[in-house]
Amino acid sequence: MAESFFLLIATFMPLLLSPVAYFLGRRAGLGAVTWFSFGVLVISTGLLFVPASMLNGGRTVYSESYPWGQFGNFGLRLDGLSLPFAIINYIWFTVLVIYSKPYMYRKIVDEARSRFGEGEGTESTSVGRGTAYAADADRRNNTSGIANESGSLATTTIGVEEQRYVNSQLGLYFALFMVFAMGTLGMVLATNLIEFYVFFELVLVPSFFLIAFFGYGLRQRTGLMFFFWTHAGSVVLLLGLLSIGFFAGGFDFSTIRAHVSQIPAQWMPIIIFAVVLGLGVKLGGFLLHPWVPSSVAGAPTPVSILLVGIATYGILRIWLDLLGGNYVQYSLYINIWGLATMIYGGAMALMQDDIRKVLAYSTISNMGYILFGLGSGSVLGVTGATLLYVTSGLGKAILFMMAGSISLQTGTTSMSKLGGLAGKMPYTAVLAMIGLLTLFGIPPTSGFMSEWILFNGVLQTGVHDANSLRIALFGFGMLTTVLSSAYLLWMYKRIFFGKIPQELVNIRDSGRYITITMAALAGLTLIIGVYPDPFLTPITTYIQGMFHNSPAVLPLPSSGGSGIAVPLAKNIMFKSDNRFSSNAVPNSAAPMARINSGGAFTSH
Amino acid sequence: MVEITGFGGIAVNVWLVWILPFIGAAIIAAVARAGIKIRDYTAVGFALASAVSATTLIPLAFSGNEVHSQVNWIAVLHLKAGVLGDPLSVIMANLVAWISFLIFVYSTGYMHGERDLTRYWFFMLFFIGSMQLVVLSDNLLMLFFGWEGVGLASYALVGFWYTDRKKDFVGTEGHRAGGIAMWASPSHAGAKAFLMTKAGDTMMLAGMFLIFAYSGTFGFKELLQNQGWAVQMAHQNLLVPAAILLFGGAIGKSAQFPLNEWLLEAMTGPASVSALIHAATMVKAGVFLVARIAPLFFALAAFGMTQFFEVVAWVGAFTAFLLASQAIANPEIKKVLAYSTGSQIGYMMMAIGIAGLSTNFVDGYTAGFFQLISHAMFKAALFMGAGALLHVVGSRFMSDMGGMRKYMRKTYIFMFLAAMSLAAAPLITLGFWSKDAIFAAVLGSGYVHSLPLFIMAFVVAIMTAFYTFRMIGMSFFGKKSQHLEELEKAGHHPHEVRPVVWVPFAILAVATIAIGVVGFAFGAQLQHIFSGYLANYFGITQQKQLQLLQNPATTTQLVKPLTETKLFLGLNPYAAAASFGAFAIGGFLGYMFYIARKIDPQIISKNFVTRGIWQFLYNRWYLNSALYWGAVIGPVAIYRIIWRYFELTVMEGISHAFEFSMASFSRVVKAGQTGITQTYLFVFGVGIMIIIMLLLL
Repeated sequence: MAESFFLLIATFMPLLLSPVAYFLGRRAGLGAVTWFSFGVLVISTGLLFVPASMLNGGRTVYSESYPWGQFGNFGLRLDGLSLPFAIINYIWFTVLVIYSKPYMYRKIVDEARSRFGEGEGTESTSVGRGTAYAADADRRNNTSGIANESGSLATTTIGVEEQRYVNSQLGLYFALFMVFAMGTLGMVLATNLIEFYVFFELVLVPSFFLIAFFGYGLRQRTGLMFFFWTHAGSVVLLLGLLSIGFFAGGFDFSTIRAHVSQIPAQWMPIIIFAVVLGLGVKLGGFLLHPWVPSSVAGAPTPVSILLVGIATYGILRIWLDLLGGNYVQYSLYINIWGLATMIYGGAMALMQDDIRKVLAYSTISNMGYILFGLGSGSVLGVTGATLLYVTSGLGKAILFMMAGSISLQTGTTSMSKLGGLAGKMPYTAVLAMIGLLTLFGIPPTSGFMSEWILFNGVLQTGVHDANSLRIALFGFGMLTTVLSSAYLLWMYKRIFFGKIPQELVNIRDSGRYITITMAALAGLTLIIGVYPDPFLTPITTYIQGMFHNSPAVLPLPSSGGSGIAVPLAKNIMFKSDNRFSSNAVPNSAAPMARINSGGAFTSH
Repeated sequence: MVEITGFGGIAVNVWLVWILPFIGAAIIAAVARAGIKIRDYTAVGFALASAVSATTLIPLAFSGNEVHSQVNWIAVLHLKAGVLGDPLSVIMANLVAWISFLIFVYSTGYMHGERDLTRYWFFMLFFIGSMQLVVLSDNLLMLFFGWEGVGLASYALVGFWYTDRKKDFVGTEGHRAGGIAMWASPSHAGAKAFLMTKAGDTMMLAGMFLIFAYSGTFGFKELLQNQGWAVQMAHQNLLVPAAILLFGGAIGKSAQFPLNEWLLEAMTGPASVSALIHAATMVKAGVFLVARIAPLFFALAAFGMTQFFEVVAWVGAFTAFLLASQAIANPEIKKVLAYSTGSQIGYMMMAIGIAGLSTNFVDGYTAGFFQLISHAMFKAALFMGAGALLHVVGSRFMSDMGGMRKYMRKTYIFMFLAAMSLAAAPLITLGFWSKDAIFAAVLGSGYVHSLPLFIMAFVVAIMTAFYTFRMIGMSFFGKKSQHLEELEKAGHHPHEVRPVVWVPFAILAVATIAIGVVGFAFGAQLQHIFSGYLANYFGITQQKQLQLLQNPATTTQLVKPLTETKLFLGLNPYAAAASFGAFAIGGFLGYMFYIARKIDPQIISKNFVTRGIWQFLYNRWYLNSALYWGAVIGPVAIYRIIWRYFELTVMEGISHAFEFSMASFSRVVKAGQTGITQTYLFVFGVGIMIIIMLLLL
């Protein structure tokens, strides 16, 4: 029936092979399991690129569809909206697998030490212990032991018992990580509400275990807390999704899109509230965020990066895309909520001493930016928010990797114990600076590209509606970028500048696995920053099409003088631009019907 | 007017001017492996190459031609990247390129033996590349790339000595004003510079977005061609706010009031960096931006842009006054120069502002740009000279110098020459002619409040001459300081610096005099170029202006110019008299106090009033204190309260309550799972009964 299975394979290969990863980890150890997982994810990512290349700048849709009993169809669909989320998430997973090699190994070996009682004496002095670990984990794996430079800890070889423990933990980690990847991708590609929800919940399970098994501090408690909060959110979301399906007479996105008008008007606000609330928990919006700082700071680095944010996609897809029409009505509230989240996250980040906590609150603040853009009520703003998911994710990833790198080398992430590391860890410092610039939006990093588009959209709506509240929100939003730069620059100063503490004078930079993975993401952010089209074109095209039928949403400003103040501009837009007129309206309702009936690879 | 569009021919050179430094920056780390010397020469070579390609554009500027070359950039938004080589940008690009080149040469000597020079060269090249991008880009968005690049480079270079050694600090340690420390470490200063300019940048972005929302383009040419956007914006009273917001970016970058405080702390960087920041890049970016947009907005004068120009003029005039007054009381040589930069840039802003308010736009515009050119040359020379002094003396305080002219003859001579330009010594210095042009522009403007502006400018000129003489006198004249004697005792004899250090600033210092001798001709030529430029591209000619200004939509009240433009030797006699007078008064006072040392400066501390004034100036009008209380300590205190009483109490509380309720719920449910069949049956039976009763009811 189906001619191609790119997305199916890309999604489920990591899941199916995760047991293999586990046993490989147990039997063959670190190197094998890392490269195996890396290989699987590289192939999956590669498989994503095949249909991605057929998307033709977001104007067509690629989908695979299979009958799924009473739920409708189980489909996987790549379009202009899911493309950036899918690609960037798999890139992160792939890169982070490599990063995990030294990072998780160190973490688990530490664990093993304390568990098997060898490291009791050293447990208390984390800084002193850290210096001892300054060597490359990789080299250490080969020699199974390390000549200690500061002489405070004479580590001998890892015992057989410990090695077994380490290997099984490693296997478990990589297996869970791959399930995590699969859940994320499935959620992004889903074409059915139930399918979406199943994947959404599937992400929770591995991430819970990853926190509870491999986290920091009171990790089981943190993990439970994470699970409670997000699960409570999920339940609310599920209620929303079920009522959508109930009223629309089916769970397939295409069915909903066709019958969205059947949802009673008095139910619509409730449904939207449930969906946004449910996803808002996962997004860490203001007042729904209490789980974020502890979970993000308590999770192992690769998981912290991926924990928050993917719900952005849910809001875009389920609310803006499927339930579309009434979006503008509520957009102002989202806008205000976003601003509150932005400022709150930034302000709280200033109060922190632990790098991970700073970054956790920074994550909240970034989600605020995204919500701010989603609430803009204009194509530009929503486009900017979507691109910001990609770019802030990149920036956040680099900075979390920096935190991991520092904690590996120094044994601490408390900034009051750090300082002057720029000279000792030059690569980390440079790459972290790129991450920093990405997060607060300085060109030529990608952060600027998304932020200017986003803020532009917010301002546009404000000006067009002559709404002084919106203009004021824009002003505060712009000022918040100063707050964002302030907490990040201050963090950077405290870590990398100033006098180096006496205990850290023998620190060395992280090994190549860490610096190269950071460099890969840093390179990506620079490329997108200068040439954003590969991401921006599909996003913009899709979102333009998404709001094609809702005139209340401001279109892109047309070039050539006819500004937004002329209401006609909206209509002129699509007519004058032959790219859209020839190929009909981009992929909103019409192509969906076709996908539903035929399944398989649809392109038009 | 001939326009060359496309990539061919000379357009490549325009691209190269800004791309070459970036290429240099990209490869410098790799080159550094080949050796330190090769690395340094490569950096200088790239600066030279960029300067040479800028020079190839000069014929373009003189012939009034324009190169406009575009490539596709962000397709979905129909945005193009492009360069625009018109007379304004070509002159600016040459100025930036050649002064940067000299500073690069100076750096090879001055920074010799420092650690981490690869980083230094990277950011220096990045700096001039970004600045040239600001200068040459043809649209606001791309300009903003350069704009932020300049900010980033200055952040990195101001904080170059990131280990925060005490000797790299600025300010007197232990000195507090209003409870705020008035000294700063390099890393602190870098962050401060970044954040304050960022505050300006947010305004600039807001202005850009407003214009984009109406016009759908960022391009300067496009904005000029189709002015429909301006009509709409003016209709909604948004045009002036947008213009002022754009100017906000320039306020931040050029350290104008109220965002002026960062410039003073930015002295923590190496002297070569200060020279670059103050002469060619960074602070000049703001002036350039204003010079770039002012003709555009003036061409839109029919929509009543007067308020915009008024804001520019008054901000400029006030900053000039504010910072000149502070320079009088500062003990550090580099900081005196920094205050002076802010003050001189105030002059430039004032000149461009007055241009838009006057009947003859080109006069003020030329005067402002003339001032930019002369300031770039003498300020670069002064900073490089000051760097040589610091290097030899090992202290940033002028009180630690004294009598240095005996030891550093060449530095003394060339710094003196450049300083004369700053003080505007009549007739032979470049600074005199540019200042005179500004005075003449203000006097001849016909702006209703031009008299107060002129008086402010005059007072600033007096103060400028005074602090210049004070600086020269304190460092080069008088007795040896205690610090120097201690140095000599320790066996360090002050000596002249190496030629690679003094030759670059000697060239600039001599140039200020050489051009100064024929200064009026230079000014006239500049005026000629700009009147052609403004007429060709913006349609700004004298008649057109009068027409625009008499448009009922404008709010200007035209009055008779304060002086008739009856020229004497190409000079406005009143302006010339004012320039002479200011130099004479300020110079005489400075000479008596600090060079001849006839009057002891200590007398000011004997009098209650003068001591108070001195304290006020020395504490920077308490602006820095106000800034820290208002923008740092205040908000952080509020955040801390929120942190303590909301995040840690309420939010954590909710979280705990949530956790607790989950746990108790689980306990309740668990209690039900007794495993005793009787209990289950009992519950089951009760349930059935309830259901039946419900059904019966």
